[in-house]
Amino acid sequence: MRFVWFWTFWYWSKESFRSGHLLRGPLQGVGGHWDEWFQHEASEQDLRTIEETGRSESTQREFIAWLFRHWAGECHEPSRRMAPRFVAGQLAHVPPFNKWRAFEKYRNSYGLAGISALVLSGESAGGPEDVRRVEAIALPADSAGQKLIPEGFKAEAAEFATARSAAQGVLRGKGLLILLGLWVLGGRKPYPRWFSAALSAGWVAVAGLILFLLKGPEPGGQLFLLSAVLVGLWCSLMLVAAVVVLSQSFRAWRTGAYLAASLEQSQMRLCMNGGLTLKGGSAGLPFSLNLLLALYHSQPHAARRSWIWHRFFSEMHSDAESWAATGVITAAGYVSPVVIEPKLRACLQHNRIRHILTPRQREATERALCAIKPSSGAIKKEPSAEALSSGMRIGFAAEKPCLRIHRCRHLAQAIMALGKLTDRRRILANILPLIVSGIMVGALPDLRSILLPYPAPVAVAPASPSPYFIWASLDTKYPRYFSAVLESSYWSNRRAEVQPRGGLTPSVRAEIRLHRVIGTGASEEEGFVWIERRRRFLTREFLPGERVGRYSIAYLTRIGHE
Amino acid sequence: MSNEISIRQLLRWRAARAETEAPPAPRAARLLELARPWWETWPERFQSLVERLGSIQIAYGHAMAEPVEVRRSGYPVPTLIVRSGEELETSVCVLYLGVRDGRLRLRFQLEKAITHTPDTLEATFVAQGFTRPLFSAPAVLSVDNEYRIDCELPEKLARDWKELKVTDRMPFRLILRSDKDGP
Repeated sequence: MRFVWFWTFWYWSKESFRSGHLLRGPLQGVGGHWDEWFQHEASEQDLRTIEETGRSESTQREFIAWLFRHWAGECHEPSRRMAPRFVAGQLAHVPPFNKWRAFEKYRNSYGLAGISALVLSGESAGGPEDVRRVEAIALPADSAGQKLIPEGFKAEAAEFATARSAAQGVLRGKGLLILLGLWVLGGRKPYPRWFSAALSAGWVAVAGLILFLLKGPEPGGQLFLLSAVLVGLWCSLMLVAAVVVLSQSFRAWRTGAYLAASLEQSQMRLCMNGGLTLKGGSAGLPFSLNLLLALYHSQPHAARRSWIWHRFFSEMHSDAESWAATGVITAAGYVSPVVIEPKLRACLQHNRIRHILTPRQREATERALCAIKPSSGAIKKEPSAEALSSGMRIGFAAEKPCLRIHRCRHLAQAIMALGKLTDRRRILANILPLIVSGIMVGALPDLRSILLPYPAPVAVAPASPSPYFIWASLDTKYPRYFSAVLESSYWSNRRAEVQPRGGLTPSVRAEIRLHRVIGTGASEEEGFVWIERRRRFLTREFLPGERVGRYSIAYLTRIGHE
Repeated sequence: MSNEISIRQLLRWRAARAETEAPPAPRAARLLELARPWWETWPERFQSLVERLGSIQIAYGHAMAEPVEVRRSGYPVPTLIVRSGEELETSVCVLYLGVRDGRLRLRFQLEKAITHTPDTLEATFVAQGFTRPLFSAPAVLSVDNEYRIDCELPEKLARDWKELKVTDRMPFRLILRSDKDGP
């Protein structure tokens, strides 16, 4: 068994913690614990084997690999995935590891990607050194209850609490609702390209059918079929959209709740080198984003359950180096304005930053970005290390700044931008379904009357009190889908709409004015009133539908008077 | 004439030269004075520091918004940092405490960060409620702004402190001095 000395140390640490000699948990205080053990507790044999391990870089690397592969197995909790990295980072500063070359890369960094913060030093007007790399690492919660510990800088505890609350809110709270709302309205959806094209074609077909029904030729007997196709297609598209939105929202909520619980149970360590004491809260936005990223680093499997979170985290993880952020964040996740110009200048001079997340403020525009150049003199890009070593002289052929500003009002918008979830074409493409759906909702009663006709109404009282009118009062709740037609040899034929009417005897009826036909020998009671279905689609009325009732004039004039 | 000089001769010559150039040995009185602890050298200064140390009140009032589980945070130890003529009231968090074989091993961290953290501080342990110091020992800067102390304990203290845990209220307060030569 190799590296027994580390096990000896580890169990000494655990036992000392258990017995009340150590305040911090074995993991959280590993650096100081090691120092204590190495200085006072390690046996001669341990010291000798440690020295042997440190003799060559290859054995040092073997120890680090062992730490990651084997010792990490000691930490069973999923949130302890970052433990070996943290331990390596802590041990890198204590003897004898601070002399080991293999620990070099852990001395200033945990080797994790993070969104850079824009923190101006002193009176700086904005330089590349003001773009500060931030790393966050999630560990199991400390027994002392410290939720967030800064490393390499100092800041007010309240600022961390705000950043943490904002991250909590966007995982499980109002922030999540805002995120889902933004995603539903203009977010990329988890469809394959062909499916997306099919959906677009479907919406176009629905729009085409609507136009055909409104402006096309009289469909006649095809009206039922066309209406059925229209309703079926629209319902299918709506169903797909609803299923995707609801299922993804549910998954995002569940994953967010899980990650929020992890955040609650974790101790977060935010690292930013430079030894700065932060004044002001403009690093709140990058802090919140890095806290979210730390959760993903500690439990990448958790995000896989939700397409939205998975996409956001994987995009942020792979491209974090090219992003910087600035903005005061509130506990509810809203981003407040900050001093922006020197920060934009700092990003412009930094050769890694391609995107910057800013609050939604007037100064944060592409135009302002272009205006920075002349006012600040020549923008000095950091030359690459290879160029410096080869003594190459660099000439900057100035071009349009390749920095892209993403303005956000809320942390959710930053997430949309970072996860490349915003799709401008989708926003435009969503307009057609929205309009079409609006029209369809308005037309649904008409389509319903075509596809599932309402029951035929029966003529009821009251009859017309006037000899100049004949009333066809009907017992229906849907008068607009029926009309009455007078067919008589004595009276001129007329058609009248059925509608609710008031007066002394309110009822749903058709009122037909009676006009005698001159030169006929027929009786005045000869003739019938037919009840017809009306087929309509929004503003258009098609040819009348089937006749569902026939009443003699005599019956209608006497109804209620017998 | 031979230029060769034996190593022995060369070393003798160097030792003789060093003796002539060396400063005179301090007088016995000076040695005694140097060996005396600082609180005996400057008793008034010590008295004023102890009075100030005794006036530091540290007590947590838990105005919790949410229920929290019982935490293991230990008790802060009231501490006075004296350096370059200035005094800073603060507290330290005891991270490790072990008393074994008559030796005290203590690690602590300052609650309030100070600028230019010195590599070594002289820690004077003052008993709670007493004006006499218990002992003093050097505290050496370690990793992550922690200081560690490794010193022998008077027999009685070693006995009394043997069962002490980091989560217990500490029976001492600290005066940390970075300037050994001055009051």
